Amino acid sequence: MTRDRSPAPAFLLTLALLVGCALALPAFVNRGVVFMAGIVAINVVLGLSYNFLFSTAGLLSFGQAAFSAAGAYATALLLLNAPTVPFLLVLLISALVGAVLAVLIGVIALRRTEGVYFAILTLAFSELVHAVIAKTRFFGRNDGLTGIPRPTLSYGFGAIDLGPGDRYYAFVVVAAALVTAVLWWITQSRLGRSLRAVRLDPMRAAFLGIDVRRRRLQAFAIAGAATGIAGGLGAPLTSLVSPDLAHWAESTKPILFTLLGGAGTFWGPAVGALVYAAVEYGTRSLAGASDLITGGLLLGVVLAVPGGILGVAVRLLRRRDPARSRAAERGEPAAPAVATRAAPAGGAS
Amino acid sequence: MLADWPSLLFNALGWGMATFLVAAGLTLVFGILHVLNFSHGGFFMIGAYLAFTISAAVGSTSLIAFLGASLAAALVVGLLGLVVDRAVFRRLAQVDGAYVLVATYALLLVCNGAVKLIWGLNVQSAQPPAALFEVTVLGDLVMPHYAMFVIAAGIVVYLALEWLLNLTAAGKLIRAIAADPWMAQLLGVNVGLVYSATVALGFALAGLAGGFLVANQSLSPDLAGIFIIQAFGVVIIGGMGSIRGAFLASLLLGLVDSFGTALLPDMPGILFFVALAVLLLVRPQGLLGSGRLA
Repeated sequence: MTRDRSPAPAFLLTLALLVGCALALPAFVNRGVVFMAGIVAINVVLGLSYNFLFSTAGLLSFGQAAFSAAGAYATALLLLNAPTVPFLLVLLISALVGAVLAVLIGVIALRRTEGVYFAILTLAFSELVHAVIAKTRFFGRNDGLTGIPRPTLSYGFGAIDLGPGDRYYAFVVVAAALVTAVLWWITQSRLGRSLRAVRLDPMRAAFLGIDVRRRRLQAFAIAGAATGIAGGLGAPLTSLVSPDLAHWAESTKPILFTLLGGAGTFWGPAVGALVYAAVEYGTRSLAGASDLITGGLLLGVVLAVPGGILGVAVRLLRRRDPARSRAAERGEPAAPAVATRAAPAGGAS
Repeated sequence: MLADWPSLLFNALGWGMATFLVAAGLTLVFGILHVLNFSHGGFFMIGAYLAFTISAAVGSTSLIAFLGASLAAALVVGLLGLVVDRAVFRRLAQVDGAYVLVATYALLLVCNGAVKLIWGLNVQSAQPPAALFEVTVLGDLVMPHYAMFVIAAGIVVYLALEWLLNLTAAGKLIRAIAADPWMAQLLGVNVGLVYSATVALGFALAGLAGGFLVANQSLSPDLAGIFIIQAFGVVIIGGMGSIRGAFLASLLLGLVDSFGTALLPDMPGILFFVALAVLLLVRPQGLLGSGRLA
């Protein structure tokens, strides 16, 4: 549960610890693992921004790939065609592109917020984006865009070339940490609180004077911007972008991270992204087994521990303090129960 | 550009009925459990691989062997459906809607993994049976017999489901439970049994579709994703588990796809998603969305 009050010192300490570990990593492991750690840092941003949408605003989007692909293509096109634009501005543009696309899709999709409809509408729109990217020559059609250079950070007093060594990885880690901090701050802010109110009871929130649709659109735009940055960070890391980035299978990844790690907690998606990467790395040489294990793991989590890995950990830690644990439990968003087997009769026969 | 409309209509019908074959089982499960089953595509793919393997083992390319292999695939996938119902769907009763979508997606991953482990990563191509290799030409209209078979199969499956749901006692039971499981339970209906049977039927339809459409696509572990989004669109546009609605939506979206590809040859498939979004906004409850299964 995104608790109403999460102490800033605890958050900053956790963040600093994670960033410290991530920055120290290149000293201990080979470049392949460092590259994967960069991907994990980006996936953490994807997961956290999805969690913001899902756990704070209560929106089950199945189209996040559209926003990360938009960010990735924006960054790729700018780095390839306009190398003089400062990279931080490029990332901001990626965020803007993600946010604008989110607003465009959100304006239409948010007319139907009931779980399955909203999910399918966002899925349909992101597949539309996928089809447009894959068929437009400007975006390189199915081949995508390749040879995206690592950028240079330049200021008045000098420039840092992010090309050599692990410099770009370090930049990704720091940028991901900044986006994480912003997302945490928004979650704790007045906007975050009113979003939780909307999630828990839209009608009551409306009576309290909250413009429900506008709040949801804001949440969608914020998540779109963060997802756009994540996509933008990824493009120079992998040095290529392809229409696969917008495929619906990519949209399911942040959902997977979030539910695996625990939708109830702020850090859940980060744990999920890490565990997912570990599973993927551990099963990389086994064709098919990777899907089997990832799917089985996710299925196990959803069926046995809906709170996710971190949710279970929190519950175990708080067992000694039953009063607090009761308050913290079942913090998952109360999305409309569109898809449950009718409760009274449907159980085991 | 649109002068060749008989061909376009024929293509629309082919697309529509292929999609309906996949969507029929999905609609049935959605109608009764209200679970939009992501893994349906995975079991469709397993059906296709099973039919392919059985055909290869039999070694005959006759129409009878093709139909037999498809039916055998349907049977096996139907039995898998019973296992899935017991192991997964029953446990989803207490879980929030968002988690149900994700659980069935996880199941899709399991299906993909199983297919990769059993059949490998290579792309295989299956041939339609010899009898369906021919082509009938009517003026400008070229009609491959295999496409005609898929269209006929879609119509037959539709009529069979209409008959089952509307004219048989079992169908009335299924509809009663879809409408109000609690009341049905009170009236002494074994709700769990009907649930299981309907899920098994839905999965069997996935297997059957896999067998019938095996020659329509190359067989690869990507097969699951190819039809599932189309089938999702059809189920949602049709209206919450309405078989008739899904049939109509298949025809409609088939027309959109066929004419869209002719109008925008550089962007095939794009009008499908536009139509999906527009239809959902205009008629959010779907074409025949009455909340009833039939």
